[in-house]
Amino acid sequence: MTVDILSSIKGAQPSEAVNKLFEVIKNANTTNNNTFNNNHDHAVSLDYLRDDVVINSPQIEKQIIIENFPKEKNGFLVVSKVIEE
Amino acid sequence: MDSQIRKIHHQLVNKEITCTDLVQERLDALKQNTNNTVNSLLDTSALDLAAKVDAKIANGDSIGLLEGIPFGIKDVYMVQGTYTTASSDLLKNYKSAYTATAIQKLLDAGAIPLIKENCDSFGHGSSSENTIFGAVKNAVNSNLVAGGSSGGSAVNVAKDYTVFSVGGDTGGSVRQPAGYNNVYGLKPTYGRISRFGLMAYASSTDCVGPIAKSIEDIRIVLNVMSGKDGKDQTTYASAEIPQDGILTSEDIKTVGYFKNFIETDAIDSQIKSDFLAAIEKIKAKGIQVKALDFFESETLVSTYYTLAMAETASNLSRLDGTNYGNRIEGDNLKDTYAVTRSENFSEETKRRIVGGNQLLSQGFSDEIYLKGLKLRDQISENFENDFKEVDIIISPVTPNTPPKIGESLKDPLAMYLSDAYTVGFSLGQLPTLTVPKGTATGLQISAAKNNDELVLKFANFLKDTI
Repeated sequence: MTVDILSSIKGAQPSEAVNKLFEVIKNANTTNNNTFNNNHDHAVSLDYLRDDVVINSPQIEKQIIIENFPKEKNGFLVVSKVIEE
Repeated sequence: MDSQIRKIHHQLVNKEITCTDLVQERLDALKQNTNNTVNSLLDTSALDLAAKVDAKIANGDSIGLLEGIPFGIKDVYMVQGTYTTASSDLLKNYKSAYTATAIQKLLDAGAIPLIKENCDSFGHGSSSENTIFGAVKNAVNSNLVAGGSSGGSAVNVAKDYTVFSVGGDTGGSVRQPAGYNNVYGLKPTYGRISRFGLMAYASSTDCVGPIAKSIEDIRIVLNVMSGKDGKDQTTYASAEIPQDGILTSEDIKTVGYFKNFIETDAIDSQIKSDFLAAIEKIKAKGIQVKALDFFESETLVSTYYTLAMAETASNLSRLDGTNYGNRIEGDNLKDTYAVTRSENFSEETKRRIVGGNQLLSQGFSDEIYLKGLKLRDQISENFENDFKEVDIIISPVTPNTPPKIGESLKDPLAMYLSDAYTVGFSLGQLPTLTVPKGTATGLQISAAKNNDELVLKFANFLKDTI
């Protein structure tokens, strides 16, 4: 899949400046063969997981979400349909 | 400079000024300012809050230290009912439905938000020129860039339009503009302040950061915003940093600096000589200074941008005009997504999204993305080893002085490389403070993770030393 499709940006092309950054990474020496070593310590302990509860949003929050909605038809908010392909 | 927060607090309590006059004066200054720092003013709510503070004082009630203190908010933070545009066309009419945790804590402490501040769109930039509100002009010389991405925030503090501002720092976006405008700017340890309600750029390095004119004001605001938050599970509980805890620095015995940052042709000769002079002054106080080895600047910049682009491509994939944003209708739904994103994202944002999707795609991810992660691990390991040898690492903030407005956007690679001294500390998730001392764009002080207090201690030491 090309980057314009992946990015949903029409006519998108890889950038020369960004490719130069990628070249540096490709040519860099890595001594550590274990990608996920002990620096990735942001996993949350089971003890600290949030409770799985439904929190009702305040009315003002719901109102602003509706205001932000780009498309309305006959009093309904129009959401996207599933792309079937 | 002494604490502006404490000074204003005393003036309010002693009835030398009213909060309404204070807020009105700052709003007027913001309205008239020609530095392009304003995305939107929160004038009605600010004056309402100021009247409440005045009523409390008139009633003889005590007020908290931050009560009535006017502050600014980078326009990437949710504040319920305010426009939160990320300086982008896509979100130019977007209203926050809720309030960011860090901002809510300041509101709870009584601080008064005046303004949503101009910045690079979605944090994508180092000059605050990548914005639909016009390039932010430097506080010292208006022909130069303000730095970025939190350029509007740094200029507002430098110009006294806000007492402090809340910026966001992913790869240097608080520290670099602080350096360019001669103010203090802190990137705390990653996770010290909740990111909930901060529009995500690169989630693994995004940090909420205060900008102010004194170390004490940074300390006060940091303490209020810090803490564990169930809405951001990367946060951790931290102890409050006491005022008298950062006044002495006897426990700082050894300071390091990265010699390859200095021994390079890429650094401005004056910044280099000023930095080395600062090192001599530190040595003269009896502190041992060690020259340390570190990764080449090109490797640091490439690692940071590789990971940041991958993360921003993922984070911004939700912006398609479906549930919010400036939707532009196309021939079908897919076309609607593509037109909406093509027309509403800036060139720099598109460059980063495309780069991110490119490096995450099949055939690229192993040799670029996964290798980038390995390099990041090595950088973190390097820091861990360094902090066994030294208490503090000091470095310049930028290799060069601020460029003229219009120069940065022409050459993206040069802009990326200008972040050479800030991105490494972001990848290491370390507490790092810009102090407006030592070189034309200041000095950066870093300590080991969770050691924000030591950074502020050393800043106080430098204030008296340089």
